Amino acid sequence: MTTLLQQIANGLVLGATIGLIAVGYTMVYGIIQLINFAHGEVFMVGAFGGLAVWRFVLPEGMKEDWYVALPLMLVGGVVVSVTIAMLMERFAYRPLRNAPRLAPLITALGVSIALQEAVRIWFPDADRSQSFPRVFINTQVKIGPVEIPATGLLLIATAILLGLLVQLYVNKTRMGRAMRATSQDRDTARLMGVNPDRVIVLTFVIGAALAGIAGVMYGMHVQTLGVRAGFQTGIFAFTAAVLGGIGSLPGAVIGAFIIGLVERLGGQYLPGGTAYAYVWVFVVLILVLVFRPQGLFGESEKVRA
Amino acid sequence: MSRLSSLVPAALGRPLSAVGSVLLLVAAMLPWATFLLNDGAYPDKATLQFFDAPFALTGYRWHVLLFGVAALVITFVPLPGKGRALRALGFGGLAISVISAGFILSEGGGLGAITAADGATAFGSIVGILGGVALVLGGSAIGIGDIPHWPDSPFGLTGWAQRLLAWAVLIVSFVALLWLVSETLTAGGTSGVSNPYAGPIFLAFLGMAVGVLAALHGIGFTRWLTSLSERHRAFSIIVLVLCAAALPFTDAGTQYWMTVAGTIGIYAATAIGLNVVVGLAGLLDLGYVAFMGIGAFVAANLSGSAASKLGITLPFPIAAVIAAVIVGIIGAIVGSPTLRVRGDYLAIVTLAFGEIFSKSAQNNIGDLTGGANAISNIPPIAVGDLGFNEPITLLGTKLPPGVLYYFLITLLVGLVMAVFANLKNSRMGRAWIAIREDEDVARAMGIKTGQAKILAFLVGATLAGLAGAVFAHKLGTASYDAYSFLQSVTLLAAVILGGMGSIPGAVLGASLLFVLPEKLREFDNYRLLFFGLALILIMRFRPQGMVPDRIRRAEFAGETAEGKPIEEVQEQLVVEHELDVPKGGKA
Repeated sequence: MTTLLQQIANGLVLGATIGLIAVGYTMVYGIIQLINFAHGEVFMVGAFGGLAVWRFVLPEGMKEDWYVALPLMLVGGVVVSVTIAMLMERFAYRPLRNAPRLAPLITALGVSIALQEAVRIWFPDADRSQSFPRVFINTQVKIGPVEIPATGLLLIATAILLGLLVQLYVNKTRMGRAMRATSQDRDTARLMGVNPDRVIVLTFVIGAALAGIAGVMYGMHVQTLGVRAGFQTGIFAFTAAVLGGIGSLPGAVIGAFIIGLVERLGGQYLPGGTAYAYVWVFVVLILVLVFRPQGLFGESEKVRA
Repeated sequence: MSRLSSLVPAALGRPLSAVGSVLLLVAAMLPWATFLLNDGAYPDKATLQFFDAPFALTGYRWHVLLFGVAALVITFVPLPGKGRALRALGFGGLAISVISAGFILSEGGGLGAITAADGATAFGSIVGILGGVALVLGGSAIGIGDIPHWPDSPFGLTGWAQRLLAWAVLIVSFVALLWLVSETLTAGGTSGVSNPYAGPIFLAFLGMAVGVLAALHGIGFTRWLTSLSERHRAFSIIVLVLCAAALPFTDAGTQYWMTVAGTIGIYAATAIGLNVVVGLAGLLDLGYVAFMGIGAFVAANLSGSAASKLGITLPFPIAAVIAAVIVGIIGAIVGSPTLRVRGDYLAIVTLAFGEIFSKSAQNNIGDLTGGANAISNIPPIAVGDLGFNEPITLLGTKLPPGVLYYFLITLLVGLVMAVFANLKNSRMGRAWIAIREDEDVARAMGIKTGQAKILAFLVGATLAGLAGAVFAHKLGTASYDAYSFLQSVTLLAAVILGGMGSIPGAVLGASLLFVLPEKLREFDNYRLLFFGLALILIMRFRPQGMVPDRIRRAEFAGETAEGKPIEEVQEQLVVEHELDVPKGGKA
C-alpha cells in the first residue's frame, strides 16, 4: 500500500513536469498544426540555461540562498528557452508555413538533433551527465506514509498554477481571443485585424517559458541532467497532449498526470518492471490514437490530414 | 536565384564570366599556402609556384584549372543553357576554393596562411573564390533560362544507327559514373584514416563532382540521358549492374571500401523500401528501421549462432524468406492504425512502435535479442564451403574479403529497385500516389484506401526485413542499438534529401548520408550537428530533394524546372499516363 501511494506521488511529480511541457505542444499544435518535435529540446535547453546561471553567474555566497538562486535560475532558464524557441520559429518553421505537411515535421526533427548536439558540443562537459544543484529546500515532506521531496511538491503546485494561468489567459484576454481565432481560421483572423505572426510567436514564447521553468525545476528535482533528457520527456509530453485531446489545455495537464502515473505504476506493477515503464507509455499512446484519436477532452475529430 | 541575376546587367554577363574563368585559371597556378602544413603539404603541391613546375598540377588545383578552361570555352561558344552551366561551374570552383581556403586557414593558423607571410605569398584560394563569384554572377547575368531539350534522335539518325549511338552514350556515361564513384570513394586516401587531409580533399572533390554534374544538367545533358535510359531501360539496367559489379576491380576494391559499399547498399535498399511508404503513399514512418531490426533478429535467431537461444539452424535463403514474411506481417499490423489515424498522428504511432521495439530489444525480450550483449557470431552466408566473407579470385584479379557480400547486396539493391519501379507504375502505385495527394478524393475515385495503405506498409516492411536479414549476416552481429530512432531519421533524411518517390534519389541520399560520416571522421564530433542543420536547410531551400520525381517536382515548385506553369505540365502528365497504360501491359 505504501509502495502504491509512493509510486502515485512519484507519478504525479513526473506528470507535473510533463504537463508543463505538454502545454507548449498542445498550444502550438492547436494554432499551426505542427508537431513541434523540438519542444522537448526547449525543455532541455531551459534546464541547461538554469544550470549555466548557477554555475557561471551566481556568486559563491548566493548559491545556497534559494530565494536568490531559484528565481535567478528560473529567469535564466526561461530566457534561454524563449530565445531558442523564437529563433526556431523564425528560421525553421515560419518559412515553411505553406509548405507540404511533412516539411516542417522534418525541420523539427532537424532542430531537435541540432539543439542536442549544439549543447553537447558547446556546453562545458555536457557530453557527460551533469549534476544539477538542488537550490530549493532540500527536505522530504511526509504526507501520511508517503515522502515527497519539497521540489516535487513545488513542481506539482507550479504545474497546476501555471496551467490555470495560461488557461485564464487564453480564455479571458484580448490576445487569448486572438489566439483562439487564429487557431480556428488564420485567414479570417487576419481579416479581423489579428496579426497571426505575432500570435504564433507568442504561442511559442508561452510554451517555451513553461518548458524552461519545467526544465530548471525538474533538474533540481532529479539532480541530474543530460542532453538526451529532452527527447524522451518531450515524447511523453506529446503523448500527454494527444491523450488529453490536442488543442485542449486542461486536457494536456490532466493527460500528463495520467502519463506520469502510467509510467510509474506500469514500471512497478506490470510485467517487465521499470525496464519496460517507457514501453507502457507508448502502448497507451497507440491505444489512444487508435481508439480515441480526439483524446479524452478533445473536440470530436474533424478531418486531420 | 532571380535575385542573383538582377545584380549584374545582362550585357556584363559575358565579360564577367570570362574574367571569372581567367581568375580560376590563375588561381590554379598560384600557390595556395605560404608554408607546408604540419602534416605535410596539402595536398602535395599546395605551395607550388606554377612556373617552377607548370605541368605538375594535381588534385583540387587540377580541377580548378579544368573548370577555368571549361568556363572559358563555354563563355565564347554558342551553347544553349550557357548561363546555367557557367553558374554551376562557378559554384563548383567556389566550393573547391572555399573548402581548401577554410581548411588551410584553420590548420595554418589564420589569414597569414592564405595571403602572405614571411615573404611568401599565397593568394590562390582568394583568387579562386573571386573567380567563382564572378562566374556565378556572370552566368546568372547571361540568363538562367529553360534547360534546353535535346532531340531524341540526334543528327537525324534512325533505326540501328540511333540505337547504337544511344547504347554508346549510355555505356560511356555509366562508365564515367563508375569512375566518379570509385574516385569519390578513394579521394583523399583509401581508408579514410591514412591521410590527415582526407576530409577536405574529399569535400573539394565532391564540390568538383557536383559542379560538373550541375553543369551537365544545365546544358540539358542529364535530362537527355535520363530519357535515353528510360527508352532503353533493359539495356541500361544491364550496363548499370555490370558497372556496379565492376567497382571491386577499380581503386575502390579494398576490403575497407567493399565493406562500406556493402553497408551503403543495405541502407540504400532500405531507403528504397521506405520510399514506398513515404514517397509513394505519403505515410510518414518514423519507426521504419525497427522493421530492419526485426528482420535482422529473426535471421540471427535462425542462423545457428551460439548466442541464439532457439538453436535452429536454417540455410540463409530460407531464413531470409522467413524474416521477410514475419516482418511483412508485423508491418501490416503496425500499419493498421492507418485506417483510423492520419498524417502527423500516424507518424507518432510509428515512432511509438519504433521506440517499443528498441526498448524491448534492449531488454532482451523473450531471450530473442540478446539485450545489451546482442546476438553475436552470426555465421557468414555460405555457398558450399565458400563463406561470403572470404577473398576470392575472379578473372585473374584477387578481390578482397567482403566482395561477395558486395555482389550479393548489389543484387539485392537491383531487386528492390525493380520491385519499386514496377510497383510505382502499377495500378497500386498510382493508387498510392493518389492517396498521397488527397486521400478523400482517392477514396471518392474508388480506391480502397485502407487496403492500399496497409499494403504499402507491408511491402515497405518486407523489403526492410530482407535488408535486415542480409545486414545481420554481413555484420555478424545483431544489436538493438544499430536500429535506433536516429537511424530511422537518417533513412528518412536520405529519402527526402534524394527526392521522395525517386529511385536514384533514394540511392544517392543513402550513399551521401552514409559515405560522408566515413569520409569526415575528423569532424565526427560535429557530424550530427551538421546533419540536423542540413535537414533544416534542405527543407528550407530544396524541399523536393536532389533528384526529384517529376510529379513531386511539379507539386513543390508550383512550376517545373523549365518554368512552365503547373497546369500545363499536369495536362502533359495526364496525356503521358494515358499513353503509358496500353504500353505497360496489364497495368
